[in-house]
Amino acid sequence: MDFDFDYLLAQWPALLDGVLMTLRVSLLAIAASLVIGVLGGAARVMKIPLLAQFVALYVELIRNTPILVQLFFIFYGLPAIGMELSLFWSGVLCLSLWAGAYQVENVRGGLATVEYGMREASMALSLKPIHYFALVALPIAFRTSLPAMLNTAISLLKNSSYLQAIGLAELTFVAVDRIATDFRAIEMFSAICVIYLALVAVLAALTGRLSAHLQRPFQH
Amino acid sequence: MKPMLTVRDLHKHFGEHEVVKGVDLDVSEGEVVVIIGPSGSGKSTFIRCLNSLEEPTAGTVVIDGGESIQAGNRRALARLREDVGMVFQDYTLFPHMTVLANMTLAPVKLKRASRADAEREALALLERVGLQHKADGYPSELSGGQQQRVAIVRALAMKPRLLLFDEPTSALDPETVGDVLNVMKGLAAEGMTMIVVTHEMGFAREVADRVVFFADGRIVEMGPPSQMFTAPKEARTQQFLHSVLH
Ligand SMILES: Nc1ncnc2c1ncn2[C@@H]1O[C@H](COP(=O)(O)OP(=O)(O)O)[C@@H](O)[C@H]1O
Ligand SMILES: [Mg+2]
Repeated sequence: MDFDFDYLLAQWPALLDGVLMTLRVSLLAIAASLVIGVLGGAARVMKIPLLAQFVALYVELIRNTPILVQLFFIFYGLPAIGMELSLFWSGVLCLSLWAGAYQVENVRGGLATVEYGMREASMALSLKPIHYFALVALPIAFRTSLPAMLNTAISLLKNSSYLQAIGLAELTFVAVDRIATDFRAIEMFSAICVIYLALVAVLAALTGRLSAHLQRPFQH
Repeated sequence: MKPMLTVRDLHKHFGEHEVVKGVDLDVSEGEVVVIIGPSGSGKSTFIRCLNSLEEPTAGTVVIDGGESIQAGNRRALARLREDVGMVFQDYTLFPHMTVLANMTLAPVKLKRASRADAEREALALLERVGLQHKADGYPSELSGGQQQRVAIVRALAMKPRLLLFDEPTSALDPETVGDVLNVMKGLAAEGMTMIVVTHEMGFAREVADRVVFFADGRIVEMGPPSQMFTAPKEARTQQFLHSVLH
């Protein structure tokens, strides 16, 4: 079977639309998952009553059920109890909740490495617990957790392809949709593999630069 | 002499384990008190009660005739901290912040000073300890002795009325111990009220107004260094000094 480059060139506007949708959903969900991670990680580390247990339950629930089931629950289940979300926001919510659970664990792991002495020094300087958390513990933990956070973000980006199952026109959906009419499976799947690889590489490169920046104070 | 610190019948338990067993101590303004004693005897726990890093189980702490700090009074415990600075054995500088940011963080966040004023004061303090050229450096770029000097001026930036030191030179390379002790001597000469837990007997002899021998959660004996180092009364003090000075 011959590999038809011209076919792919002709399809690039459709693929580009798919990429843009994948990026929109993923970037919003990465941001939301980090917020969930910081707040949830804080609740767990500070052992805030009820909230800490709730977060622990949420993390277990997400980590021990298939993401596709979570997606269907949000898209088909929530409307049944009167919470109807658009395709797009269902996708964002699903990826945010899924990655948020992992980011909670990443933030928690990073916070666990912050020495107790940092907390005592903050207290001795009369800093409030919120100052300690936001200005001392979190920045130190962030540096430690960054590789794990990146892994979660990359998984999120790849898992955005599950959203084709509810019909969101992201990259994988576009490819499958084209294949159904044009039967060019090898071309299309090769193309989207390359595109996913490129997106992951860009994400990793950006995080690498951030990491280098954060490491500067420690390089001596 | 104006009293700066009054401690009455201070007790601290960790569960069943009583670590501080009823301590009374009066420190006057400008006085330098050096606490010596075997490790594990409760020296750290005692001075940590003085800035409420540990909450005493019983007893009172009064700073500068202010509110009496009693066990369970959390609001007063928090206020106590604002008047008391502390320097730890392992410096505990914030590693992700420059020296200047370490020093201005608390004064700015607690609205003691504007950022510009806090930075000006921090630079003046750094100059006093010969580290103004390190203001924009990170802690990891400094030697242990330099980090400890920064930790001292970071505490001073909060204008404490009492400064506590918990073995400030124990983690240092021998060649940098002198620089830190010199800064502490300078503070003593300027009239800072200080309580210093240390094994540096030379410092105790030279700088202390009073030496306290602490063992098994109690003050066994205290007096001026001239008396404590030459004619201690208690057998335990004699034993301890014999073991550290020989
Ligand atoms: N947070 C704590 N919980 C339980 N025990 C402690 C705690 N801190 C100190 N101790 C115990 O209290 C005793 C005195 O310790 P410490 O005050 O550090 O003595 P020192 O400073 O004289 O070496 C030790 O037996 C130590 O194990
Ligand atoms: Mg100690």
